[in-house]
Amino acid sequence: MLAHRLDSLLLPSCTETMGALARLVDTAELWEAVWISNQAMVLGFLLAAIVGVPLGLLMGRWRRAERYVDPYLNILLVTPKSALIPIVIMATGLGLLSRLLVVFISAIVVITVNVRTGLRMVDPAWVEMAQSFGATEGQLWRKVFLRGGLPGILTGFRLGLARAVSGMITVELLLVAVGIGRLILDFEGMFDAPSLYATVLVVVAEAVILLQGCRWLERWMAPWAGEGVAR
Amino acid sequence: MIELRGCRKAFPGRDGQAPVVVLDGVDLTIRAQEFVCLLGPSGCGKTTLLKAIAGLVPLDEGEIRIDGRSVTGPGNDCAMVFQDFALLPWADVLSNVAFGLELRGVPRATREQRAQELLAAVGLGGFERHRPRQLSGGMQQRVGLARALAVDPKILLMDEPFGAVDAQTRRLLQEDLLALLDRTRKTVVFVTHSMAEALRLGDRVVLMTSRPGRVRDTIEVGLPRPRPPDIEKHPRFVELKDYLWQQLREMNA
Repeated sequence: MLAHRLDSLLLPSCTETMGALARLVDTAELWEAVWISNQAMVLGFLLAAIVGVPLGLLMGRWRRAERYVDPYLNILLVTPKSALIPIVIMATGLGLLSRLLVVFISAIVVITVNVRTGLRMVDPAWVEMAQSFGATEGQLWRKVFLRGGLPGILTGFRLGLARAVSGMITVELLLVAVGIGRLILDFEGMFDAPSLYATVLVVVAEAVILLQGCRWLERWMAPWAGEGVAR
Repeated sequence: MIELRGCRKAFPGRDGQAPVVVLDGVDLTIRAQEFVCLLGPSGCGKTTLLKAIAGLVPLDEGEIRIDGRSVTGPGNDCAMVFQDFALLPWADVLSNVAFGLELRGVPRATREQRAQELLAAVGLGGFERHRPRQLSGGMQQRVGLARALAVDPKILLMDEPFGAVDAQTRRLLQEDLLALLDRTRKTVVFVTHSMAEALRLGDRVVLMTSRPGRVRDTIEVGLPRPRPPDIEKHPRFVELKDYLWQQLREMNA
């Protein structure tokens, strides 16, 4: 009897979860939470892309830029994001800005690193060929680096998006209880495992749809690349 | 006419080692519409010399003049054909051939028409919409050759262009190249490490030594043109090949 109760608490059955999901998608509560969470996610991700892509391009093109930026990037790479969250919140409070910043921190490293890798995949022979026809630096960027680096840039977007989603949930669970994270904490408090799982399912579904969208974009925009960029 | 005077180029050594002198005191005059083969072992600076003529590698000392004008950077006189083809994998064959013209600001319709003509000339009509990776190595180099010819350069610089294809394809490419050049006379500087290739194609063979790269000898080939497929049996060919062999052996001794 007890064992059965414990079971359903930790691992609700599929039917229970689906039932809860059906109830949940009918409530305004869920969509409001999704909306609030995604504000931070989308803005944080865009900011990370706006900063990370040029940074990665710069590092990929000029070794000197890489020497300056690389140490900071490595620090950001090895520091657990959960350790940075309190600092961000102390600095910026409990509002949208702090959540946005956590998402930004989560996403920027993979974006930068993958854009840099993407630019490294640009064959020096293509650059030399373009130069031999008298290409200007602007032409090199438009017709060689950005085209050849596109697979890496898109991979950076995809992995950055995955990090952004997890960053968004982490900060909401750990410190700023709003949005989907708040919903998860609420259901946890109520021992409502089916609803809890249903909420997680919603997050996973959103992430999967976004990542698939990115994959589709990669295949559509850079079909020539095939496999080979770090993932 | 290409004049090279006292050309010297050194690359910085790795990890504090002494700089590597790849070219030292290279003097060479290449006449207009001459086919010159630069022959030498790997690392003798023949590719560097070619890139210097193209304006891609600045020299430390000396000067290169094309028709009297000093080379300071890539210009419109030369077009290069690369060993590893250097085709853009995202662009189709037509756009690859038109790429040089695109960089020089030629309108799309004009450059694509020109690219079409050259594809036909190198025997690749009908492959316009293929991507480079769908083609064999030999076909890819035909695309590379068409791209260079599309800008109608006075000088064709070829960096071991047929080194990455199999022996049979190589022979066919060599014959097609000579046929093409019969129709559009160009000055050609052709880098190779194959003696047979140098003799089969060139008017003159420039033999280079390695480290530092210097001109050891220049040989007037003097074989009849058009070169027949069995040119290798020509007594003069055999004689020159023996001579080149002897020179290479002495260089290694």
